[in-house]
This record gives sequence, C-alpha cells and structure tokens, in this order.
Amino acid sequence: MSDRTETTDGTGRERGADASSSARGTETDPLLRIEDVRKSYGDEEVLRGIDLEIDRGDVEVLVGPSGSGKSTLLRCLNRLTEVDSGHIYLGDTEITASDADPNAVRQQIGMVFQDINLFAHLTARKNITLGLRKVRGLSKNEARQRADSELDRVGLADQADSYPAQLSGGQKQRVGIARALAMDPEVMLFDEPTSALDPELSNEVLEVMQGLVAEGMTMVVVTHEMRFARGGADEITFLAEGEIVERGPPERLFENPERERTKRFFESIRHE
Amino acid sequence: MSVADALGIDTGRLRESTDDLGRVAMVVVGIAFWGWLVTRWLYDWTLGRWEIGPGAGENFLSPAPLEGVADALEGSVVALGPVRIPVDPLATLADGIALAIDIAPALATGAWYTIVLTTVAIVLGFFIAVPMAVLRVYGGPFRWLALAYTELIRGTPLLAQLFVLYYTPYLALWLNDAPVVGEGFVPDYAFWIAIIGFTINGSAYQAEYIRGALESVDEGQLTAARAIGLSKLEGIRHVVLPQTLRYAIPAWTNELVYLIKYSSLAGFITVPELYYRASRIASSTFEYTPIFTLLALVYLGIVLSATNLMTRVERRVAVPGIGQAEGRQQG
Amino acid sequence: MEGIVALTELSTALPAGQLLPVSEEQVGQYLGEDWEFVYRNSDYLLWGTVVTILLTLTSILLGFLAGFPAGAIEAYGSGYSRAIVRKFGVLLRGTPILVIMIFTFFVLPIDIVLGAAEIGLRSIEFVLGPTPFTVPTDVPEAFIAATIALGFRSAAYQSQIFRGALGSIDEGQMEAARSIGMSRLEAIRHVIVPQAMRRSVPGFQNEFTIVLKDTSIAFAIGLGELLKRSHDLFTQQTTAVLEVILFISLIYFVLTFGTNRTLDYVSNRFAIPGESS
Repeated sequence: MSDRTETTDGTGRERGADASSSARGTETDPLLRIEDVRKSYGDEEVLRGIDLEIDRGDVEVLVGPSGSGKSTLLRCLNRLTEVDSGHIYLGDTEITASDADPNAVRQQIGMVFQDINLFAHLTARKNITLGLRKVRGLSKNEARQRADSELDRVGLADQADSYPAQLSGGQKQRVGIARALAMDPEVMLFDEPTSALDPELSNEVLEVMQGLVAEGMTMVVVTHEMRFARGGADEITFLAEGEIVERGPPERLFENPERERTKRFFESIRHE
Repeated sequence: MSVADALGIDTGRLRESTDDLGRVAMVVVGIAFWGWLVTRWLYDWTLGRWEIGPGAGENFLSPAPLEGVADALEGSVVALGPVRIPVDPLATLADGIALAIDIAPALATGAWYTIVLTTVAIVLGFFIAVPMAVLRVYGGPFRWLALAYTELIRGTPLLAQLFVLYYTPYLALWLNDAPVVGEGFVPDYAFWIAIIGFTINGSAYQAEYIRGALESVDEGQLTAARAIGLSKLEGIRHVVLPQTLRYAIPAWTNELVYLIKYSSLAGFITVPELYYRASRIASSTFEYTPIFTLLALVYLGIVLSATNLMTRVERRVAVPGIGQAEGRQQG
Repeated sequence: MEGIVALTELSTALPAGQLLPVSEEQVGQYLGEDWEFVYRNSDYLLWGTVVTILLTLTSILLGFLAGFPAGAIEAYGSGYSRAIVRKFGVLLRGTPILVIMIFTFFVLPIDIVLGAAEIGLRSIEFVLGPTPFTVPTDVPEAFIAATIALGFRSAAYQSQIFRGALGSIDEGQMEAARSIGMSRLEAIRHVIVPQAMRRSVPGFQNEFTIVLKDTSIAFAIGLGELLKRSHDLFTQQTTAVLEVILFISLIYFVLTFGTNRTLDYVSNRFAIPGESS
C-alpha cells in the first residue's frame, strides 16, 4: 500500500508540469472510467446506468437539478456510497471490486464536502496531520511540514493554529481542500463546495479551485457556480433523473445545447 | 447487492413481527401485574376487612401444592439418580413460585405505599417547584433564595434529609400527637415524614428542570405577552409556563422514576413500603435470592409502567414544533 | 492504598486535639455540648468521608469501564449485542440502587466475583505484561458489594450519556474521516470519541454527584461510610441528631460542590476554542 502511494506521489508532481504544457483533454488517457453504474434507494432509482470517462488532468463539472443523482454519483466514486451494479475504474484498478479496500481507494480520491466537515476538535493544521499520521504513517515532523505547505497552498499559513469554530466559512472550506490535497490524491471530488457559503466567501474557495485547475489536478465538481464551470471545466455533464442528458465542453453546452431539457435548465439557472 | 437488500427487507419485517410480539407480551404482563395489584388492594380494603374470603393480607392461592411439587421434585432426584440435572432447576422454580405466592400480599400492600408516597410527593413537590423556578429566573434580588434552596437540597443525600426529619424530635413529636395520624386508614407518622421529605427533595430537582425549561423559552415570548397588555406575572402564567411545562415533561418522567426508586429509602424510617416489607421477610426467612428478585421485578413493573404512562401524556399534550423530548434517561 | 494506611497511622498517632486548632471545651462553651460531641468525633466522621470518597471513585471508575463500551455498543453496535446491553440497562435503571446493593451484598457470591476479577487481571497481564493492579483481598466485603452495585448502576447511566454524546456528533465527521482513508474504527477513535468525550462532561458531572450522594445508601449493608458513622454517633447521643446530620450534610455539600466546580474547570480547560459549550 505504501508503495502505491509513493508512486502516485511521484506521478502527481510530474503531472502538474506536464499537463499545463500540453493541450489538456485532447488526448485520450481516461483516469476514471464509469461503466453502467446504477443505484437505488428503496424503490427510487437514483442512478440509471451512468457511463462516463474522465481523462487525466481534466476538470469535469456535474450539473443538474436537485435529485438528479449528481451527488450520489460523486459519492460512489470514493465508495462513501456503494453502487448497486456497474463498475468504476481508477486507472487500471477497479475501485468497485469487492476485494478493493475502500480505505486505500479513498486515499487516492480526495473529497471536499458541501457542509465542510472539518474535525471540530482539531486545529487547522491538525485537521491535515491526522490523516497523514494515522493513515499514511508519517512522522510528526513530516506531517507538520506537509500540513503547513498545504495550508500555504490555500493561503492559510497564518491560521494553522486556529480551530474550525474560529474560522470563516470560506477559510474552513479551504482547510477542507488542503486536508484532501495532503493525501496526494489522483482525483479530487468537490460536492457543492460553495453552496453553504455566502457569495463573497465563495470567491476565495473558487480561487483555490482555479489554482488547482491550473496545476493540472483531475477534478470532478458538483456545483451551481456557473462562473467556475465556464472558466475551469473541460467538460460539463448535465444529469437529470439519474441519467446523463448531455455532455460537452462548456461553450457548446451553454450557448448551443442539443437537448431542450438542457436548455431549460441553464435558462432557469441564469434567472436565479 | 440486491440480494442483501432483499434480505434487509426480510430481516426488517422479521424484526417488526418480533416487536409486535414483544409489545403484546408487554401488554399481557402489564395487565396481569396491575390486575393483581388492584385486585389485591380492593380486596384488602373491602371484602378482606369484612372477613369474606381468606381475609386481608392472606393468600388467594395456597402455595402448598407448589411446595409439594418442589418437595416431590427434590425427592425424585434421589429416585432418578443420574437424571438429576434437569430436575433441580424445576424444583428451585417451583419453590420460587411458592414463595412468590406466599409473599405476594405483603408486596402488594408495600407497592400501595410506594405508589402513594411517590405520587403525592411528586404532585406536592410540583407546587413548590414552580414558584421556586419562577423565583430563580424572574425573581431579581430574591433569586439567591431559590438558588440556596435547590443547591442545598440537591447537594446532600436524600437519606440524610430523611434522617433529619425522622430522628430530630420536632416534626416526629408534633405528628405523633396529631389526633388522626396512625388511626384507621390514616398511616403512621413515619409515612407523613416520608411524604414531607420526598416532597422537599423532589421539589428541588423539579425546580431545576423547570428552570432549565423556563430559560429555554424564547425571551420574545414574554415581551410579546407584555405587548398585548398582560402583566409580567400573567405573561409568565399564561404564555411562558404552558410552554415550559411541555418542555419539562421528559425531565419530569425522569424525576418520577427517580422518586419511585428512591422511595425505597423510606424503609429506613420504618415506612412499610415495598423494600421494608421484603427485607423484613428476607431477614426472617433467609430466602434472599428469590425475595430480592421478586422485589426488583415489582419495582421494575412500576417504573416501566410510569415511563409508559408519561410517554403517552407527552404525546397527548404535545404541541407541534415545541417540547421535543431531549436528554431523557429511560428508567 | 499504602497512602491510606500511612494516613491512618498518622491519625491514630496524633490525638484529635493536636490536629485541630480549637479545644473541645471552647466549642462546648460557645456552641453547646451537642456541637462539642460532633467536634470530639470529627475525625471519626472524617474517616467516613474518606470511605465515601473512595467508594465514589471506585464506583465511577467501574461505571466508566463498563459504561463506555456499553454506550459505544448502543451507538454503533447492532443486533444481539445492542439488545443485550439495552436489556441490562433497563434492568439496572429500573431497579432502586438500594435493591441492587442488597442483591450484590446478600446474593452475589463475592468470592466468585473476586475470582473472576483475578482471572480477568491475569489475562490482561498475559496480553499486556505485568500491571501494578492486584485483586483486593483485605477490603471489606461491604465495600466491594457497594462498589459493584453503584458501579454497574452508574454504568447503565453512563452508557446513556456516552451513547447520546456519540450520537450527537455530526455524521459528516465520520464521512470526512473515511474520505481521507481512515477505517471506521480509526475514525471513531481519533475523530468521534474526542469530541463526544467533551460533550459528555455535563452528563458526567450530574452522574458523579448522584453516585457521591448514593454512597450513603451503603448504610443499608453496614459499610462505615459517612452516613453510617453519623448514624452510629447520633444513636449514641440522641440529642445531637440535628448537629451530626448538619455537619455531615455540610461535608456532602462541599464534596458535591467541589466536584462540580472541578469538572466545570476540566470542561473549560478542554473546551474547543471558539465553540460555546
């Protein structure tokens, strides 16, 4: 297990430089493959056969009305929710395989939550070191250095010793992002990261996310922030009633959607 | 996955049906328990006094046949020799049931004292607790009076409080001289001392619960009451307290359960309640295990009935949106 | 335990008059002979206080050792384990402590309990190596019976406190911990429990004072704690009932008050900065 994380660490660093030089998303190198994923809660079918391929270094934005299944799909990607049927691959390994260790999967796939979920009893720094120490087995000093550099990355080096209750919503969410980044994930998942925040606080979070886009991080983002979708996404997937209605680059989907359903949705968002 | 889901549904149903079964069993046991108590009380007060039937405090059923069975079973051990293992517990059980029948009248009378003591004390205590709590929250300069009362009483053991009342001569002499105490239906002075002790003790705890509830009612409620022209006292009486008391019901249930259990301490000042009677019988027969087991069961029956009853009350007086049951410790 | 022995020797070596700054005569002169009686016997009562404090501590400890796992089982367990814990809880919470104590004293064979404790300790030592604990052999039976009764009854209540505290932690905390690759057990250990412990302080405070006051019920099995000793005294000099009980009430009050303030301090000391407790 530790071997694997070592290698992902290495490729992750390289990948950043690599992706910014080459044109992103044109070559086909699917990092995440989702095949016919289905999920039901009782009689309600939330995901009705989702197929999706996300390339390394790409930013995929999932949009759709509430109840469309986008959050459920995101949670299936790191097995916080288990699929009923279908397969999800990260690179060559199937993460939905029954013998795949969900804890190992989750180390490679970072997640940022709508309601942030910082560990309330720990400082910003310790929120980050906890996983590094207990899961990755880093020494106290290594973990601390890593945490401080991640806090610096999200612009919060001066808040390392603050507790969550002493931080603003935007600062908390940035710590949440730093906590996920510290595990060196191959993919970052964002579940409506700004919807619990005031508009002015959203901006600082969106800036951090834009920074990650520039670094070439592979990201899957559920959001209603169309500014981010326009500026950062390589592909936008529109879901409704548990199915993919339409997928395409932002310009095409915004300006010239093929389906009437998609058009209506984007119009309703614009009016908000 | 779908198989597991199907299984999940199945086990769910299974659990439901066992729940139903459990509920039916509980109701049957409850009816039997209270049926026995009420029959016993009614008989002892009426027919028993007029010397109809076996007489007050005497058994309806004779334990003799069961004792016979127990003896027979024990005897058969000798005859059966190697098969003694399954027979022995049966003999113990038969013995236990015989003993239960034997002491049932005493326990029923004791239960009457326990229940009356608890009920009277909690109701009287309530009437002290409400003004205390109001004084504590709205009393201004007199708050400390209520604070001292509740803290002193909550800070010392109930048994010590009972001892003060019972062993110091003032109250005991006065009650002993009172003409009605200890005559006919009126219980002995120790009982009255216990009532006073439990009332005072319970009132301090109740005041604390009600205070907590008072403080949780939004301040705007009283302001709004004043705004429509009610006086402060009227506002407290008609607007704040009705909300408060709903909040306080779970805590009140708790207090009721506590009082039922702690009423056993009245036995130390010779009130003939459940514990007193059981321990008297135990110390003369040395049958500790079955007697204390039965005693525990009777307390358990009363406590569980009380929590059930209070849950019903809570549901009945519930106003949508207020009075959520929180922090309850089930009895 | 050695400390206590040393203290006992100290108290017997020094007469009461030397330990206390005021003489008996002075007390008798100003406050009457009943207070003089209390004063004369104050060290007898103070040793009762020591028993009361010890009994409280052993009971709370036993209650924690049994109650915390029970609370965790009620919060996270499933099926039979949870059902069994609940049944025991209802049984212990629905029976008067007096009856439980009489039961542990008269019915429960203490030898067997101590034997089981011995086996338990040995197995712990087998796994963890030598421990400084031994099974008490020279402790009065009444003390052990009272500890078991108060301890397990307290466990039944402590389990409710911990269950409530564990359940009150937002589910998102668990998800966040899982999302960085922690196992369920690691998440409970490092994320949920530290927060739950802080939230259980008020309930624990309440429980502590309840146990402290209920040690007085060990009177029923003749354990020489504070109340039993006061009873011994005022049956000796019946006019001093009020004085004796007022005196021990004051001790109880100081103990409960002191405990509450100490736990308030602990609670503030470990409060999470920025969160209102």
